[in-house]
Amino acid sequence: MALFPSDEWISLYRDLINASEEYREAGRTWEGDIAFVFEAEPDRGVAEDLVAWLDLRGGVCHDARMIDAEQGRRAEYEIVAPYSRWREVLLGDLDPVKGMMQGKLKVRGDLPNIVRHVRAANELVHLTTLVPTEFMGTR
Amino acid sequence: MRAVVYRDVGRVEVAEVPDPRLEEPTDAIVRVSVSVICGSDLHFFHGKAPLEPGETIGHEAVGVVEAVGDGVERFAPGDRVVVSFVIACGSCWFCRSGQTQLCEDFRNLGAGIFGGSLGGAQAELVRVPVADVNLLRVPEEVEDERALFVGDVLSTGVYAAGIAPISPGDTVAVVGAGPVGFFAIQAARRAGGEVLALDLEPERLALAERVGAVPIDVSARNAQTAVDERTGGRGADVAIDAVGSAPAFERTLDIVRRGGTVVVVGMYTSETVEAQVGVWWTRALDLRFAGICPVHAWWDRALEAVRDGSIDPLPIVSHRLALQDAELGYELFDTRRATKVLLRP
Repeated sequence: MALFPSDEWISLYRDLINASEEYREAGRTWEGDIAFVFEAEPDRGVAEDLVAWLDLRGGVCHDARMIDAEQGRRAEYEIVAPYSRWREVLLGDLDPVKGMMQGKLKVRGDLPNIVRHVRAANELVHLTTLVPTEFMGTR
Repeated sequence: MRAVVYRDVGRVEVAEVPDPRLEEPTDAIVRVSVSVICGSDLHFFHGKAPLEPGETIGHEAVGVVEAVGDGVERFAPGDRVVVSFVIACGSCWFCRSGQTQLCEDFRNLGAGIFGGSLGGAQAELVRVPVADVNLLRVPEEVEDERALFVGDVLSTGVYAAGIAPISPGDTVAVVGAGPVGFFAIQAARRAGGEVLALDLEPERLALAERVGAVPIDVSARNAQTAVDERTGGRGADVAIDAVGSAPAFERTLDIVRRGGTVVVVGMYTSETVEAQVGVWWTRALDLRFAGICPVHAWWDRALEAVRDGSIDPLPIVSHRLALQDAELGYELFDTRRATKVLLRP
């Protein structure tokens, strides 16, 4: 089990992305690094904001790791939500593209481009479910 | 007379200054019974807005009319009045349409050159231009301290809640439980809303709770999650930004439901935010920038709320000082050891 999010978790996730034929095809035209910001929920055991970063280009994840908030702001895309909302995404309770359009996940960057790559986004979400995941804190 | 004067950045003092006199036939001179230090006075105190050394400060006061010009029809010496912080002409198109904050000749008391170089209300006497427009008679049964805030921050809170369509049972989230938030909370409750107060200062949250809000300490809880929990995951029907900072604005947008109303009453100057306008559009947000409160359009109903007891201004008053102790008052207020400081000449 890997703690979500952590370098260990992201490393497993990156390997799954790069092994996915579906993502290679659906994400072929995607160019841009993404910072995923997990906002703190101190009362639920998430003491501070955490940021995971994926460098996704041409259907391949070239790099992936935890970064700090300042680095996150330099990414081409930044997607921000409370930790528990990300948990809903990973558990399949919240469709991320719908969540972005409803403002449940805040996006900085070219949102229409994300919407155009909905198939790739869905595969990225699907792949998260394959990582043996341990969530932080309490729900 | 004695008045609070600006000396330098971070320094005011009480000094002897010339008495104000009637300059226009529509002027009144008001002998101040009580005035208050406002958050916007701190902009001058910190040098963020210009005041010349020696200029007087303050814009909220209750007092008794001392003298009136020949053109004043509604007031006479001896009348007890509250002063509007917006000094409006009362005759331009905006004033006639009730939007006195957009007056062609908009002025403020005690705000230096930006306010039309009028004297301040933290003084023994203050000159009020266009008195028939900018004074409100205080009913006998309403004490000075209860009427005082009607001239500015109380009416601003009533305005913030009033321009949102609050229906009984609505969830209203107020971001920032400072003075404007404190009064917006009470006004929203008066309209039948269940009010959530978001702040990170325990004293402010305690005050908000005292007037009926559910306090949410955002230093311990994620605002969005906390509001979702109280609204079945939807978000607030109405969210009021009573802070005036880019993070507060963004937070307010985070916690309002789809199809909900955002009221921005916190003061903005040069802040910028990155907006996904398409998301706001898709969410069908009703975004209302309140601007400065058009006090004259709201102060009757604000005073009525004070009179009927549905809005109680007194819990926010933490200090009552003599005018001569204004320097201490500014220090207490600036360092947030005071929630509101009253000054009595």
